[in-house]
Amino acid sequence: MKVVVIGGGWAGCAAALQAKKCGAEVILIERTDLLLGLGNVGGIIRNNGRFTAAEEMIALGAGDLFQIADRCARHKNVDFPGHKHATLYDVNIIEAEVRKYLYSMGINILFEKRVVDVEMEGKSIKSVYLHDGTEIEGDVFIETTGSTGPIGNCLRYGNGCSMCILRCPSYGPRISISMRAGVEDLQGLRSDESFGAMSGSCKLEKDSLSKEIREKLDRDGVVVIPVPKEDINMDKLNIKVCQQYALKEFAENIVLLDTGHAKLMTSYYPLEKLRKIPGFERVRFIDPYSGGKANSIRYLSMAPRDNHMKVIGVDNLFVGGEKSGLFVGHTEAIVTGTLAGYNAVRLGIGLNLVELPSTLAVGDIIKFENENKKTLDGLKQRYTFAGAVYFERMKQLDLYTTDIEKIRKKVDGLLLRDFFKNRII
Amino acid sequence: MNILIIWEGGRTLFRYVDCIDAGTEYCPCHLAEKGECIICSQLRGKNFCDCLNWKGTCIYEEFIWNNKKAKRIREFKEFTIENKRLIRDDLLLLQVSVNPYLAKQLNNIGSYVFLKKPGSPLCFATPVSIMDSDIKNNLITMVVKILGVKTKDLLECKDKVELKGPYWNGIQGQIFLKNLKGNEILIVARGVAAAPCVMAAKKLIKANNKIMVVLEKGRGNGNFAKERFKSLGCEVYDVNMINYNDYSLSEEFKNLLLELIKKNNFKVTISGGSDEFHRLYLNFVYALDKSLKFATVNNAIITCGEGICGSCEVKLDRGIIKSCKQQYNPAEVFINLRGEGRK
Repeated sequence: MKVVVIGGGWAGCAAALQAKKCGAEVILIERTDLLLGLGNVGGIIRNNGRFTAAEEMIALGAGDLFQIADRCARHKNVDFPGHKHATLYDVNIIEAEVRKYLYSMGINILFEKRVVDVEMEGKSIKSVYLHDGTEIEGDVFIETTGSTGPIGNCLRYGNGCSMCILRCPSYGPRISISMRAGVEDLQGLRSDESFGAMSGSCKLEKDSLSKEIREKLDRDGVVVIPVPKEDINMDKLNIKVCQQYALKEFAENIVLLDTGHAKLMTSYYPLEKLRKIPGFERVRFIDPYSGGKANSIRYLSMAPRDNHMKVIGVDNLFVGGEKSGLFVGHTEAIVTGTLAGYNAVRLGIGLNLVELPSTLAVGDIIKFENENKKTLDGLKQRYTFAGAVYFERMKQLDLYTTDIEKIRKKVDGLLLRDFFKNRII
Repeated sequence: MNILIIWEGGRTLFRYVDCIDAGTEYCPCHLAEKGECIICSQLRGKNFCDCLNWKGTCIYEEFIWNNKKAKRIREFKEFTIENKRLIRDDLLLLQVSVNPYLAKQLNNIGSYVFLKKPGSPLCFATPVSIMDSDIKNNLITMVVKILGVKTKDLLECKDKVELKGPYWNGIQGQIFLKNLKGNEILIVARGVAAAPCVMAAKKLIKANNKIMVVLEKGRGNGNFAKERFKSLGCEVYDVNMINYNDYSLSEEFKNLLLELIKKNNFKVTISGGSDEFHRLYLNFVYALDKSLKFATVNNAIITCGEGICGSCEVKLDRGIIKSCKQQYNPAEVFINLRGEGRK
């Protein structure tokens, strides 16, 4: 049973890992020379409801990647505006750790190989083609190519290529595999009903900040500095992907988090203006390189899916991460990717597919997003355990807790303890 | 979507679309401006990216940054004829002194230019393949077959000629010639179609490939390109290829091909001849070796070279190829796999 995972971001890593744990032969195809995709510039986990989700996944037996992220933490239990008990992982070391782990699990990874097309047999994908014409056959396919870029989209719906970590000019553009398989993509909307959303943070070179800021970042993990009054721009919040960070506080303040770089919680910031702020006189962007004018555009390429993460309209294609919906963040990518990997193997050996229970946040978000996406207003929302509409729902439904013991008992009560650890082939 | 299917041992390989100008300084072109770009979905009336062949630049971005205009089109310029002589009663050898830019750009597989007599109307422009480009002396060498109005007009040139270029789509199937290193390649050529094969041989030998060339003896003293192939280090064979009574491949030619294919491990074969010849030859060797890849001299009637006029269109079941700038897999056009292909 061969599972082919296309896209090596957090969702693809989670899907590949889960399919492997289930006993399948797994090949993971990545366009660039790095796993984790935008996760290489992420870094925030366990904030707000993500804590619950991470612990639920650990109890379910799919904690591998969370544990790596925890091990790579620079700071734990950090509070910043609107967010509590965040863990900040070090983006400079985590990719190598994840790569090492996937290799140790026996997952084949193809780097710098871009999938450009599919070969169909009826409503099933028979094989995928790489840009050089190589055909790769599989029984089940998982698309975790995300929804970000490429250059033309970042230009049409944003301020142009910002030279982000995805590096389309170097490795070629993302291709929507589900669309090549004949399924039309869905797009997220902004509040004004234009398409897509802009990535919500950039990274500053820590060494270009003042000694005081650097020291505070190293010590506390977070620095909050008021924005000069004339530069406060509330409109910028509307274009952001990350509605959990689209709070007034993020427009009125510069919020920096220490993820190895200094993570600046805004989509982009003109360099001249940024350098007016005390301590930022010599500041430089490290991701995106053109963070002074732009950031990447996302949510232009989601596949319609069911709650098993299977693409509607293709018999053997699953999706995870942003490809599967208006999800934000690495926790959400791991949750959806893991379920996609699990169900891919079940489908491959002829078993019925499973949903995660709604009594867990990780199951509820998958259904909630899918249901809400059907409405115009729902397409304007982003779905994350960390904030906005879904964290509110978690609190209302009493799904949010930081009591690890309570989470374990709940998972035990569902008879799902270590569910994802079981080999099914 | 205009797709091109590459055949692999009778199977589809992958949908392959290529525009020879994509990513060059002539891209985006007027096709992009009119929403007819061969590669870019955003420049084909779509709202989202679905790039059909990434060649290192985003055509849509180039277009926006060029103020939503096509790049400047190639234009005729006058150059000096250094050498002009008939090498047969109907074959004209032309050597033209060009600028260093053109010499370099034309020193590529499949290069061609448009030529016309100074002062003649634009409709006299005729496409001519580059046989050789000497980038040290900025001298290009071409062979023109005097066939009709345009070439007869060209014959009247004195010391100057008007030239427009560079163009690169004179050979189809270039994807199979790219990145070939240390392989064996078979070139089969007849008449004036041998000229672009000389350029191909030169470039392929530079990449350490071994080239064998079978040439049509034809009339007179054999093919004009024979000595050129030899001086490049190719192994050259002379045969009569065609039985003219029924336009079929001669036994002599078939036996030589059988022997060569048996002895060598050819990855690719280049066919230099008419479309009728391509069809006969490709089908014969395909039957001997299904893994063989093909490159063919482009015989389309090329009038503008920019994908606009439509004279070069190749109609396939799945759509139209603008063959002056768009690549196709020769197997799809000439091999009768399932009785398909261009009729």
